[in-house]
Order: sequence, then C-alpha cells, then structure tokens
Amino acid sequence: MINRDPYPEEAGPAVKVHVTQGESHVSSDPNVVMTTVLGSCIAACLRDPTTGIGGMNHFLLPDAGDRKDGGDAVRYGAYAMELLINGLLKKGARRDRLEAKIFGGGKLFDGLSDVGASNAAFAERFLRDEGIPIVSSSTGGLSARRVEFWPASGRVRQRLVAVDNAPADVRRPMPAPMPAASSGDVDLF
Amino acid sequence: MPQASSISVLVVDDQLTMRALIRNALQQIGFKDIREAPDGEEALKNLLAKPANLVISDFNMPKMDGLALLRAVRSHPPIRQTAFVMLTGRADRELVQRAVQFGVNNYCVKPFTVQGLKEKIEQVFGQLT
Repeated sequence: MINRDPYPEEAGPAVKVHVTQGESHVSSDPNVVMTTVLGSCIAACLRDPTTGIGGMNHFLLPDAGDRKDGGDAVRYGAYAMELLINGLLKKGARRDRLEAKIFGGGKLFDGLSDVGASNAAFAERFLRDEGIPIVSSSTGGLSARRVEFWPASGRVRQRLVAVDNAPADVRRPMPAPMPAASSGDVDLF
Repeated sequence: MPQASSISVLVVDDQLTMRALIRNALQQIGFKDIREAPDGEEALKNLLAKPANLVISDFNMPKMDGLALLRAVRSHPPIRQTAFVMLTGRADRELVQRAVQFGVNNYCVKPFTVQGLKEKIEQVFGQLT
C-alpha cells in the first residue's frame, strides 16, 4: 500500500518565521513555515484554502477567558484574533473561506485555575461565533507544544515537548499587559 | 451632564464577537439604545433610515471601511452631525490622522477597556451620568 503524503514537500528552502506571544504573521509564500512553542498559550492557524493565504497568531488571555460577555481578557483575545483575520483579508483571503486549526492551552503547572483550558475555550467559542470552521485542533494536556505551520499548503506539524524541556517563558508565560485606559498617541484635542 | 441612556449608539464592526464586546461595554457605561451593523454599507443604510447620536466604528471592514463610512456620514446633511468614534489598532497612527481630516470626533485603541471607551465618549459628549 502506498501512503500518499497529503502535503507533499514544499518547494525550495524553508523560510522560518517564529511567532512569539502577542504576534501574528500572515503569508502565502510556499517556502514560509511559521513556528511557535506553546504552553498555556493558544496559536490559531487560519487559512483561505483557495488562495493559500494563511497566518498564525499566539496569545494568552490573562484570566477569565471563559467569560463570553466581556472583561478585559476577552477583549484582548478578540483583538488578537481580529489582527490575524484583518491581516489575512488585507492579503486577499476571503473571510467566508477561512478555516482554522488551533493548538495549545496546555496545563503546565498546578494552580487553582486552568488558564490553558479557558484560553482554548475562548478560541473555540470565538471561531464558532464568527462562523470559521475548526478543521483540526490539539489543545489541553500536560505537555508543551512545538508547532510548525505551512500557510500555503495548510500543513501543520506538532511535537509534544515535556514540560521540563520547554523554554522558561513557555512553562510560565506572562499575559500581555492590558493597555492603559486612555492609550493612544495621536492628540485630537 | 448628558445621560448615557438618552444617547443612541450604532456599533459597526464586521466581527460578531467584537460587536458583542462593545455592546457589553456600552451597557456597563449606561447606554441602552444600542444598534449594530456588520459593515459600513449597512451602517450607512441604518443611519439614513434612523439616525443615531453616536457611531462607534471599526476601521477594517468589508464593503465599506470605517474611514469611508465616516466620509459618507459627513457628506449626508441629515446625519452629518453624528458623533463618530473610530476603533483602531495600535499601529494605525496614519489612519487616525486621516480620520481627523475627515471629521472624526475621537478614536479608541483596541484592545480597549470599558473605562477607556467611556473616557473617549465623554471627551465628545461631556461627563456621562
């Protein structure tokens, strides 16, 4: 029996783009592979399969990510997703064709709350509410994850990493600070 | 001091989640008359059919973006006085400057806080009760 690889090797040398917490990156270059390492954080890989335009973000909600109706954490998460979606649309992706793969949300240390689980729940709910299908996911568990995403083909490779072998900032990530109440740097008045 | 409950608001954003978050923030501030539109085109139709006192609009949207909506609002006499607050990302300094040229009343940087949004609205309407 011949095992056909649904994702044949991408042409040319890989250009690795590492996506760290708080970042998002978009590309349709078949040579680009986006990489990240996740603990409790979430990486959403969104892609328009028709155009081959895809992107990855990497975020961590500070807390209360399971609250649907508000809270700074949810606003931060929605913004992280919006940045990625807007980046895809600017490159020519169509919103109604987007599909998602989500990773992360592990529980890497003992604590009262499972931040990773609430982050994963946020991402799933956001995508469901926005009508973006999740075509595959790997969330939760007790390991860190090393994720590689080829936006042009949609291929993803994930390796689980033992907690002790994960980088320190993955074992104990710090949520991005929320902005000050009146942040902004253009004076209108 | 104006009452938030007496100010009608149209929230314009292509993301359902973001509209829900903005609505929730406005309700926390005290607004009651809140409508929504998913893009600038729908928002303009909505405003022309029933004017609002305040528009809170995203920039990046399909069909008609926030800047085009702002220009359209300012060019339609029946609704040209509508207060307009633009929601932008942190990197959109140039956009804000263009929005100022087109008559935006204020802008709020995402991810916003409830208090931050309230302050931006109060800079337009005065302190809300």
